[in-house]
Amino acid sequence: MVEAGEEEVIEFKWGTRKGLGGKKKDVQFYESFTYDGVEYSLFDSVFLYKEGEPEHYIGKILKIWENSDKSKKVKILWYFRPSEILNFLEGSETLENELFLASGEGEGLVNVNPLEAISGKCNIVCISKDIRNPYPSDEEVQMAEFVFYRFFDVGMRKILDKIVVDKIAGIEVKNIFNNLDSQKVVGLVKPDLDNKEVSGNFMASNEVVALSSQKKSQPLIEKPDGKCFDTLVRENAASKSLLGEKPTCSIGVKEASKSANALHTISNKKTVPQAKVEEKRGCKDSLVKQKSFAKLSHGLIAGLEMKEITKMDDGSGKGSIEKNILMSRGDSKRDDRKDVGVPIGQIKKGLEEENASKKGKRGGFGKVSSLKKNNNGQNRRLITYDDDNNDDLKTIAPCSSKEKYKVQRAMDSCDVEELPSKKLKIDKKLAKLTSDKLRKESSMISPNVEHKLDFRPMEVTRRPNDEDRSKWFKEIPWEEKMKTAYEQGRLVLLQNLDPSLSSSEVQNIIWTGFKESCTARMIQKTAYSSPHSGQAFVIFKKSEAAESVVRKLDEGCLLMSNGRPLVASSGVPCFPKKKPIFYGHHVVDQLRMMQMQREIKDVVSTSHCSQPNNIEYDMGIEWCLLQERANKSWRMLYQQQGEELSKLKAKLKSKI
Amino acid sequence: MESSAEKYAAFKQKVSRTVYLDNMSPQVTESVIRTALDQFATVKNVKFIPNYIGPSNQPQCALVELDSAKKAKEILSMIAGYPFMMSGQPRPVRARPAVMEMFDDQPIKPNRKIKIRWLEPSDPDFELAKEVKNLTRKHAAEVEFLDKLLLEDEEKLAKQQEETLKVHYKKFKMIEGIMADKTAHRLARKYNLHVADDWARLD
Repeated sequence: MVEAGEEEVIEFKWGTRKGLGGKKKDVQFYESFTYDGVEYSLFDSVFLYKEGEPEHYIGKILKIWENSDKSKKVKILWYFRPSEILNFLEGSETLENELFLASGEGEGLVNVNPLEAISGKCNIVCISKDIRNPYPSDEEVQMAEFVFYRFFDVGMRKILDKIVVDKIAGIEVKNIFNNLDSQKVVGLVKPDLDNKEVSGNFMASNEVVALSSQKKSQPLIEKPDGKCFDTLVRENAASKSLLGEKPTCSIGVKEASKSANALHTISNKKTVPQAKVEEKRGCKDSLVKQKSFAKLSHGLIAGLEMKEITKMDDGSGKGSIEKNILMSRGDSKRDDRKDVGVPIGQIKKGLEEENASKKGKRGGFGKVSSLKKNNNGQNRRLITYDDDNNDDLKTIAPCSSKEKYKVQRAMDSCDVEELPSKKLKIDKKLAKLTSDKLRKESSMISPNVEHKLDFRPMEVTRRPNDEDRSKWFKEIPWEEKMKTAYEQGRLVLLQNLDPSLSSSEVQNIIWTGFKESCTARMIQKTAYSSPHSGQAFVIFKKSEAAESVVRKLDEGCLLMSNGRPLVASSGVPCFPKKKPIFYGHHVVDQLRMMQMQREIKDVVSTSHCSQPNNIEYDMGIEWCLLQERANKSWRMLYQQQGEELSKLKAKLKSKI
Repeated sequence: MESSAEKYAAFKQKVSRTVYLDNMSPQVTESVIRTALDQFATVKNVKFIPNYIGPSNQPQCALVELDSAKKAKEILSMIAGYPFMMSGQPRPVRARPAVMEMFDDQPIKPNRKIKIRWLEPSDPDFELAKEVKNLTRKHAAEVEFLDKLLLEDEEKLAKQQEETLKVHYKKFKMIEGIMADKTAHRLARKYNLHVADDWARLD
């Protein structure tokens, strides 16, 4: 009768049977069981609770069995926290959530525990680079509560970076590393708080029941009424029974964090379809836009193909693949924009044919642009007209009387244009043609950019003339460039970049977003740099360009990957002083005076490790203590900032 | 594409055998670092990380490339175990493994595509993006403030240790003085104490 009542409360259920064991063949082994609504299997990682300990123990289930007296046992292979093996770390740094798996032979490797000591499942991922280990994905590593890639040999009291043996405690190594099937299962198991409350009731009610074990070697505590309780034994430490204890606050905290993770996962899934919807909306908006803009963007595509042609001539066999990609892009673009009248013919093979087709394209494009200019009489167009005029003269195109009249009016700007044209003569023919066309396109497009910003996602493309420039001129040191730019007001500090971006990628972003050529330098990370926001200094060619970039980024939002809006401000760099102050190095003044009297040069001690028996060592340790406090402050600040950022970014629905 | 992937792999190898050192005095030069670390490993390259945005009196930082990743680990554990002092004492140097973002010639990650997008003011995410921008600026201000606080702590400890050093110096000076002019000897005779033989021989 009593047992029937317990079964309703306990919610325990055996899983797959494995076989019989023991001397009398009365011990039943299992491969899995369901306890408190959670299914456990062999080689799962679990939390185990012990009264009085501030933290749970963590171990891996190796064996599961039931004795003839219905007592349930598990054999656990232990993980060690870094704090538990502090004396053997030898100064090596550990990750915040790193564990060490026990290996070797000796005390602390494995032992037997009552099954009821298990308090929950634990998601542990092995990030060892061993060939036998299927390496987890980045998402799995982030979702894991703990990670491990090193082992602690309990016999030799030593940390091992690799495991050479095929077995640990008689278990195959493949069961130690990540299991592909179990990874999927772990994600599904999410115990609720209600079940924990039920288990609390179960533990309280179970106080009355006495469980005895056959193994006499285990220490037992006898209470005044003469009943015996099983104990969780680890390294022969005796303690009170677990069964009388209720779940601790830490369990609740972990449950809350798990539920938070679940909510985050759900919110991530919801954002994806909305992003797609917005992309479609962007496509529809683009169709509505003016014909002229469509034609101009079409010109951009032609320019891209020109660049690809240049690459194909230099490149290897992959050029044909890229060509196909380009053609497919061109086709998709055509479907979107039916208004475009200029046809794109296939790029023919052979140099002569390519030259012929290029001439044809340029001529046609020139005609279209000249027609537009006749319509508009703005001053900006005059400069554009001059570029076009130069090209027309080269190709011996017919000139009208109006064009001649305009040429005379814009005589001054022509002189300015001559300088870059001289530079261009030095370059190769292909580069020359490419740069001519791109310059026209960029100058023509810029008026439209000021009127409207393109709200569609843009893929960052490589900046033109990136390599040619460095061949001809020696690079001025960056510090000098930065100083000059700062004095002239051309320096901009960018923030909230992805820290892993490189300087050339920042330049490409600026080119794609603002059509401005610039020089950029990512600020190198130090021990105290923020992991959330990378910074870069950008030098523009004109102060007006720098001002316009800062203003645009202040008023509008340029969104980068992972929902990062770019932040810009005028850069105020810090230049090194001649005699910087440094705290922590002391010299006795009297000794210095004596040295000066003897006319001996100032001597600095050689580099050395200090011995722990003098004043210098004590002072050094004080500096180490201050350093550790500073490290902790920085870590706490960045953790707090990370939480604030992730909360806010979770609301951002559109992600590129 | 293949060449960029190979460059990236070579760069990773370089990062794994590089050590990041900081808390160094401005007097520390490349030759000082080479001399200091030649006790433990062969130094291939030394690069100082310039300070562009921080407070002007930040300690110096450097990236030291060694000949193997194993040597890098050894140096890291050695410097973590004992206070290692360079070009002055008693403030020790600190060592950490290098990270990719610490290098100024970091290559582009292969097969990565970056996309950017302007947000419309009418977009519901526009206000959120503005909030993120303001939060970024606030975080930068917080970092600056914490930097300032920690520098103040360093200054306090330095002053305190300077006082301690002066006291120690005076103490040893006084002891040396009373030993030299035989005051200790006379006091010992007066109190019927036995003076060490070394000093007795000086008579």
